[in-house]
Amino acid sequence: MENAGYIALSRQMTLRRELDVAANNLANADSVGFKVEQLMVETEEGDRARNFGVSHPARFVLDSGVGRDFGQGTLRQTGAVLDFAVEGDGFFKVGGPEGERYTRDGRFTLDATGRLVTAQGLPVLGEGGAEILVDPEKPDISVSADGVISQDGERLGRLEVVRFDALGALSKDGDGLYANRSNATPEPAADARVRQGMVEESNVQPIIEITNLIEISRAYERMAKIIEQTNDLSRRSVERLGRVS
Amino acid sequence: MRALRIAATGMAAQQLNVEVISNNIANMNTVGFKRQRAEFQDLLYQSIERQGAQSSEAGTVVPTGVQLGSGVKAGSVYRITGQGNLTQTGNRFDLAIDGRGFFQVQMPSGEMAYTRAGNFAVNDQGILVTDDGYIIEPQISIPTDAKDVVISRTGQVQVLTEGNPTPQAVGQLEIAIFFNEAGLEAIGDNLFLESGASGAASVGTPGDVGYGQLVQGYTEASNVDAVSEITALIVAQRAYEMNSKVVTAADEMLQATSQLKS
Repeated sequence: MENAGYIALSRQMTLRRELDVAANNLANADSVGFKVEQLMVETEEGDRARNFGVSHPARFVLDSGVGRDFGQGTLRQTGAVLDFAVEGDGFFKVGGPEGERYTRDGRFTLDATGRLVTAQGLPVLGEGGAEILVDPEKPDISVSADGVISQDGERLGRLEVVRFDALGALSKDGDGLYANRSNATPEPAADARVRQGMVEESNVQPIIEITNLIEISRAYERMAKIIEQTNDLSRRSVERLGRVS
Repeated sequence: MRALRIAATGMAAQQLNVEVISNNIANMNTVGFKRQRAEFQDLLYQSIERQGAQSSEAGTVVPTGVQLGSGVKAGSVYRITGQGNLTQTGNRFDLAIDGRGFFQVQMPSGEMAYTRAGNFAVNDQGILVTDDGYIIEPQISIPTDAKDVVISRTGQVQVLTEGNPTPQAVGQLEIAIFFNEAGLEAIGDNLFLESGASGAASVGTPGDVGYGQLVQGYTEASNVDAVSEITALIVAQRAYEMNSKVVTAADEMLQATSQLKS
């Protein structure tokens, strides 16, 4: 069986997913705290597509995972008192209905009872998992680089910034939240600094995504060409070899 | 193709962004207007291959898995409640709040609304009203023989009458603050209503700790910054274009498939 067509098809399938990932990156170029992703493609180690009569075995391609670049995004000054950014390696900890979640999106607000919450209303957790309560009748809160929140000279708590040794342990939940579904335990991020009045923009570089886009669509066309040529070849061989003179 | 739908969510989000920016620019000269900001968040992720799934008999696990995103959504349109510049008007019934707080407005329906727009006037009965004629709470009556009106920074309203050298107090203005000002519900006409997200109003005297001060003869300009709005508009437009490029690329790829001939 001629497998060239199937090899090209396996590449086209991964290219479609690569396009999905690039499209998601571009769509989220403006999402605060978003981290750019890339599909990791490798040769399939399993069955060879063709293993006789060739010196190098032909193999299918397979997408093995989505890699995330957790590099620092640019900090943008907003001037809003309740906007925070993490500079360095670390995540804010928030309490969700299904357990703790981690986020780099620090656009917090106060809810109707004065709790510090995320844009979706999940409470932001301080040290020891305590919620942070702000008194509206006092001047604005200020937050130091190590996350200590104070209001009118009184300490309210400390934003807990945590880090993971293996960032691959985190899976995405949408809304800028990451869930820890492995047994890795988060540890306090000693090197991370909290910046008040700033947010971290996504680290998507639109130029790179657009060039990826071009590459993906050209590669897809090339694969389509290969499929076409393989089909041509079989058609011609059937025509010539099968001719009864 | 998923990419087409993802790009569509990106274009829809940027369209909303442009709408919010255009509303900010349109209200650049609206007294007491607070600029808004559209905020985006990534949508749900679909796990094609779970991380942590076993990848062989020997117990090796997939370290990262394949999680495909499904685009972007508008998380919220956030109101930035920063102070606007104070503009001198010379009108004695114009009031600006320097700091936190909202004037309380008695709506015709009996509801209480809140505003930062202090371009007030008196109605035919001498009562202090907004420019729509709604009564300011607590009600302040200015007597007809008042020669001059002085409103102190702490909200005390005093009038000077003909032939009486000592000013007379006619009322005390109060302002309201909220846990979450950004959560107030805007109803147009510079008015806001209390909502579940804002928390209950706590009413107090201007100048107290946590409350702003009143400034007579000034109004608070909008806090829209033209330069940052225009740059935001450019960024939004380019982002929209880039998402449309994804649509083109996905379309070209579909075309390449459909043109395959056997």
